[in-house]
Amino acid sequence: MISQVFILSSKGDHLIYKDFRGEAGSDVVGIFYEKVTALTGDQPPVVMSHKDLHFVHVRQGGLYWVATTTADSSPFTIIEFLNRFTALVKDYCGSLSEKSVQMNFALIYELLDEVVDYGYIQTTSSDVLKNFIQTEAVSSRPFSLFDLSNVGLFGAETQQSKVAPSSAATRPIQSSREQGGKSEIFVDVIERMSVVIGTNGVLMKADVEGEIRVKCYMPSCSEMRIGLNEEFSIGKSQLRGYGAAVRVDECSFHQAVRLDEFDSHRILRLCPSQGEQTVMQYQLSDDLPSAPPFRLFPTIERDSGGRLLMYLKLRCDLPPKSAAINVCATIPVPKGSVSLSQELSSPDQSAELKLQNRAVDWKIPRFPGGTQLSALFKLEVPGLSSASMLEVGPVGLSFELPKLTVTGLQIRFLRLSPIQPGPSQRWVRYVTHSDSYTIRI
Amino acid sequence: MLDSNKDSLKLEAMKRIVAMIARGKNASDLFPAVVKNVACKNIEVKKLVYVYLVRYAEEQQDLALLSISTFQRGLKDPNQLIRASALRVLSSIRVTIIVPIMMLAIKEAASDMSPYVRKTAAHAIPKLYSLDPEQKDQLIEVIEKLLADKTTLVAGSVVMAFEEVCPERIDLIHKNYRKLCNLLIDVEEWGQVVIINMLTRYARTQFLNPNINESLLEEGSGGDKTFYGSDEDEDEDEEEKEKNAEAPAMAKRKPYVMDPDHRLLLRNTKPLLQSRNAAVVMAVAQLYFHLAPKAEVGVIAKALVRLLRSHSEVQYVVLQNVATMTIKRRGMFEPYLKSFYIRSTDPTQIKVLKLEVLTNLANETNISTILREFQTYIKSMDKDFVAATIQAIGRCATNIGEVRDTCLNGLVQLLSNRDELVVAESVVVIKKLLQMQPEKHSDIIKHMAKLTDNIQVPMARASILWLIGEYCEHVPKIAPDVLRKMAKSFTNEEDIVKLQIINLAAKLYLTNSKQTKLLTQYVLNLAKYDQNYDIRDRARFIRQLIVPTEKSGALSKYAKKLFLALKPAPVLESPFKDRDHFQLGSLSHLLNAKAGGYQELPDWPEAAPDPSVRNVEVKDSVRAVGTVPEWTKCSSREKRKEKKVEKPFYSDSEGESGPTESADSESDSASGSESGSGSEESGSGSESVESEEGSESEEEEEDEEEKNKKKKKKELKKPVQEIKLLSLFPVEPAPSPQVTPVNTFLSNSLVTDLEGLSLSDTVLSPATIAPSSALKNYELLHRITGEGLSVEYCFSRQPFSPDANMVAVQMQFTNNATSDTKNLHMEDVKLQSGMRVKEFPEIELLPAGETAAAVMGIDFCDSTQAANFQLCTHTKKFFVSIQPPVGELMRPIFLTENEFKKEQGES
Repeated sequence: MISQVFILSSKGDHLIYKDFRGEAGSDVVGIFYEKVTALTGDQPPVVMSHKDLHFVHVRQGGLYWVATTTADSSPFTIIEFLNRFTALVKDYCGSLSEKSVQMNFALIYELLDEVVDYGYIQTTSSDVLKNFIQTEAVSSRPFSLFDLSNVGLFGAETQQSKVAPSSAATRPIQSSREQGGKSEIFVDVIERMSVVIGTNGVLMKADVEGEIRVKCYMPSCSEMRIGLNEEFSIGKSQLRGYGAAVRVDECSFHQAVRLDEFDSHRILRLCPSQGEQTVMQYQLSDDLPSAPPFRLFPTIERDSGGRLLMYLKLRCDLPPKSAAINVCATIPVPKGSVSLSQELSSPDQSAELKLQNRAVDWKIPRFPGGTQLSALFKLEVPGLSSASMLEVGPVGLSFELPKLTVTGLQIRFLRLSPIQPGPSQRWVRYVTHSDSYTIRI
Repeated sequence: MLDSNKDSLKLEAMKRIVAMIARGKNASDLFPAVVKNVACKNIEVKKLVYVYLVRYAEEQQDLALLSISTFQRGLKDPNQLIRASALRVLSSIRVTIIVPIMMLAIKEAASDMSPYVRKTAAHAIPKLYSLDPEQKDQLIEVIEKLLADKTTLVAGSVVMAFEEVCPERIDLIHKNYRKLCNLLIDVEEWGQVVIINMLTRYARTQFLNPNINESLLEEGSGGDKTFYGSDEDEDEDEEEKEKNAEAPAMAKRKPYVMDPDHRLLLRNTKPLLQSRNAAVVMAVAQLYFHLAPKAEVGVIAKALVRLLRSHSEVQYVVLQNVATMTIKRRGMFEPYLKSFYIRSTDPTQIKVLKLEVLTNLANETNISTILREFQTYIKSMDKDFVAATIQAIGRCATNIGEVRDTCLNGLVQLLSNRDELVVAESVVVIKKLLQMQPEKHSDIIKHMAKLTDNIQVPMARASILWLIGEYCEHVPKIAPDVLRKMAKSFTNEEDIVKLQIINLAAKLYLTNSKQTKLLTQYVLNLAKYDQNYDIRDRARFIRQLIVPTEKSGALSKYAKKLFLALKPAPVLESPFKDRDHFQLGSLSHLLNAKAGGYQELPDWPEAAPDPSVRNVEVKDSVRAVGTVPEWTKCSSREKRKEKKVEKPFYSDSEGESGPTESADSESDSASGSESGSGSEESGSGSESVESEEGSESEEEEEDEEEKNKKKKKKELKKPVQEIKLLSLFPVEPAPSPQVTPVNTFLSNSLVTDLEGLSLSDTVLSPATIAPSSALKNYELLHRITGEGLSVEYCFSRQPFSPDANMVAVQMQFTNNATSDTKNLHMEDVKLQSGMRVKEFPEIELLPAGETAAAVMGIDFCDSTQAANFQLCTHTKKFFVSIQPPVGELMRPIFLTENEFKKEQGES
């Protein structure tokens, strides 16, 4: 049971406030905001209490999405509801931001009205909801250079016309009505990898979580068939075909996916509903098909002047055609480090000493596969002792690998049947993010 | 603008008003103007007016009444969506005067033919209840009625209402228990959560504890016990009983047999572990944890670990629950140890929880890996996390004796860490560890004494001082020196440190008064004039105690005993230890405090209440009639579930919609299919739901037939392989879609969706089991030749139970004569080789004008040869023969759709 739902901007402005049961006063919003901001730390607790009232909140799109309850209801239900609700708002408004919520408050009220009745969650399925929702979304997408600059992000600079801007996937699902039924389908294969590499360069732990997400703008969607690699296999024992198999440990599917042809041909069949949904999720642990994308060769010593010298060589083991972007290596440094002097191999890189984190951030905007970069950092550390040398901690890397999946999962084809009458466009993109990529020194 | 004629203007105006509400501004002045628009035709305007109305109706009751008539009209609207929304808004208006109107509307809507409206009615119940609790009795009636509803759409909502209005009326559930279990998988996910929670409570009151015997075995063998940890908190009295019973004989206790309904619940919830919704997964997990036998609880571990890959908020709550579970059942999560390793991107609170889980999971075999993990965590930059890690190491060390020294050494190394916080935390932990075996580690104590110069964290300083005081006999030289230093800095110390300095001084005075007498007095004097009264009190108290004077002679004798008594080592415990009395997955569990409305999970009953209350009486009466009753679906599903325990058959999650949709396209029927992660499961998912259901119900009918077959006899033989040649396959039941004439103004598809969800089973009545009168009758004996006796027969197309190879022949004897016929039987059977006959039982008496029926079985050996025999009465004998026409030699077998198609292709 949910007493109230409200959305706050990060500055504490009321964006949406709806009371379902009349159990608590309207000053709760203020109380909540005080509680949230009073706390330090990277994340306030999910559930907070004030007298008899319990606040459950999630943070998405820079907004606080809060539900309150007085009764003992499952916290999972409320969290899951808030997550679904944000997904719905995203589907209907195109994107999640203070602005889009402000512009579409009528729509969001309508959604809330249909989704929750007297604190009870009725349905969050966008298929059912689209029958009730009348209000059109107001799209708040200003033209921006940002979109154009992002094009290169997904490669193929030479064929710009064939690449959809990344913003294309962030528009409200219902606007397709007014845009003359421009039907598009976006399929994203997103993988997140967390890796731990030991001091001796041995891969200690590797974990890849992937998902296939479909975002559908078809007004009347028919059946869609997604073909995966034929060699795709699940579990350790099963091996299909010859050559390099694409293997995952586990996978689970959205309930709308039919798997008649999955066993024989690795084809997922589904009738996507409008909006975004995760069609398939899979995990792979410990047994990567290829080498981990980055290796680090550090040399750390103390020079005669009492400075700490860190000579880092970072090698990118991706295939030569692909490249990593937005690479950032975070190197923890001893306490009391004062200043940093650096020698980097190319001008587009940068490095910075973050004093409050006690770490050096080394940023590499683009890092092609098969290459190697090196950097020399000299740190002024007053009172450097051998003990503090040990404080040069594990290096964390964050990066993005466009057009690449670490598991090797590919989409062979994407077919719509029956063939759509109008022009329909299908987009597929792959990306791998780093979740937690740690190299111990 | 609201008075304007144009809808667009009205819409704009309403949007502005709603925006005001959204920002928390008061817009109640506009009430009259807005209410006027409630009858507006434009649906967009209307909805915004509703939003406004619900918000302000309570404040302006009189004006709100103006709108009531509009809603009453709306309740009669042919469109189900309008009916539902009218009811929803009507029930949301919190005006006491309209309670009777609401009551009436709810009652009416509860018997509405649209499940969507019934669902809304269910939602309206708690609203009315909160407005006027006196209506409870009437509302319970409505709930009872809605509970009996067979639509999945309604089930979730009505259970929500039940939980809010009358959770104590558990008796209402009895009749619906099995239905709810069977529907569960098709219910909307939010409904599932509520139903599962309710059923957990229900099961706790109605079934016996499945673990009674197991906990007993454990006690007997002792081997398993250590594995699960000794803190099994089976009910105290139970355990006592067991102990008493143990001596006489194990065999005396009757083995625990799980109630089939209990089993049904567990079986039907299991596939939901695959659900996409974390709330559902957690609900099932807690159900299994609280209800399932120990051996089966393991299945939830995998599902919970899967949740760890979800949003961080979900992770947080899952880990809380996992932490509690790991205390009770460690073995369950051990295989997933690696999943709880910490990632550098996790927020602190999740890291701390993961540590907690790892610590709980640690045992002799995996401790080395865990400790190695911990070592790297200490390097982390997150200070709270590092502190928590050190504490975790301490707990591992106390729990597992073998690694205590290793841990201690590791912690001592940490003392040289440059980070004060790390050192402080280590000191505190080392102190706790040392208390267990102080004599071995005097060098560590010495080392720590040196640290007093550097460490500034009060808690750590206090710990060191306490340690030195406690074990001053192990470090006789250093202790006085430390006291000297401390006495110097006494005035600048924190309170907690000061207290420990006094303690140290007192202890030293008692053991080594020669060296420390003056120092002690100096410290006590300083303390006497301290600002803190606690310290002043302590100083006075100690002075009286240790410094011998005439008055306090008696006490000071015992001072040494008081101060230097052996203290028991502290037990480092998990903070989650006491949480398990809260139901898992509940808010109270998360907060570790009772939240409002928390209902304690009842204990298992001593003896099971009567299980027959869950029986549905309609069963027998309907079965006798012979039509396929609506409930058959339930029981046939039940049976199917029983047969398919091994394969979780998730694909029928929305199977209900199959029959209606498949009228248009076959492939649609499996729209709801989803298979679990394993590929072996996906195999079973490929079978079409429709054919499954069709054949299932046939099979069900078959079973019934078999029961009825006691009276029928006679048989022939037929080799199995050749069945194909002559037999026709039973016709698949033709699904007849239910079309309800509903005026759809928004979307047709929704209506069909909703209708499809209903469980009405008429569509499934299979054609094959139509009453035998519909079959073609053949004449065996005409009444002229039979002198008044006429015999007809037909091939009933049902299996002949005494012999599977025989074809059942249904005979109907009619006595058209004026006199009775007696001793009707058969004789002198002449058959081709290989054929066999099972005779029908003799009919003793067939009075004039009456008819009698009997069944015989003939094995025609797949030939169309006739079976010749004599039909004898008490006076006459008639030569008759039965010759099977092509197409009648068959028996029902059941195939899945795929098999059917395959066979079809072959023949």
